[in-house]
Amino acid sequence: MQLKTFHKIGLITVLLLSFVFVYYFFNPASNFFIPCPFHYLTGFYCPGCGSQRAIHLLLHGDVFGAFRFNPLMVLTLPILIYGLGLTLANWIFGTQKRFMLFYSKLFIFGYFGLAILFWILRNLPFYPFNLLAPTA
Amino acid sequence: MEFSRIEPSGNPPENYLIFAILMTIFCCWPVGIFAILKATKVRELWAMGDEVGAQKAADDAKKLTIWGAVAAFVLIIIPVIILFSMGIFATLMDAA
Repeated sequence: MQLKTFHKIGLITVLLLSFVFVYYFFNPASNFFIPCPFHYLTGFYCPGCGSQRAIHLLLHGDVFGAFRFNPLMVLTLPILIYGLGLTLANWIFGTQKRFMLFYSKLFIFGYFGLAILFWILRNLPFYPFNLLAPTA
Repeated sequence: MEFSRIEPSGNPPENYLIFAILMTIFCCWPVGIFAILKATKVRELWAMGDEVGAQKAADDAKKLTIWGAVAAFVLIIIPVIILFSMGIFATLMDAA
């Protein structure tokens, strides 16, 4: 299926606006949001747990509160946004731009190691690691 | 880069690392880790001048990304089904 550039931009805009709308006006802490399947089934936190609540707070300008819910996600959000944005731009305009950070072995394994470490640490039930758990 | 002298001109193939990262954090790191390994291979093979191999690794990374998306969908569906059935159950109990 070949979409025109105009349609692709429209589609992305609509998706982005609905995303912002939902996460701005509804608090994932107490609403119809889908819980993390990993946390729901095992009771442990995954490295992404707290992200929905963090996004809600970020959209309201509460960076510190968002940081409490998921520091890893908040800290790497610029990289994630840039990477996703570049991928979308390539798709929309048919370009082949690359984010060279994503081709660095140091970054790739460093980030993966950090995510696994974060995952383990935030499940430890004592100070200071329990600060990493996504609780208000 | 130490081996840039034999690196082909132009950009390396898309390695889909952004999706590998998102998979690893949010969903299914077992799939994510394979996608990450494939992503590093894209760069490695490209730097060695192996354009075909790099493209193949990139295609594999793309396949893993699709598998990750399928796994994510299934994982998300599980709590939804449980929550919905509990909701229906509660409604039935209330009616009884």
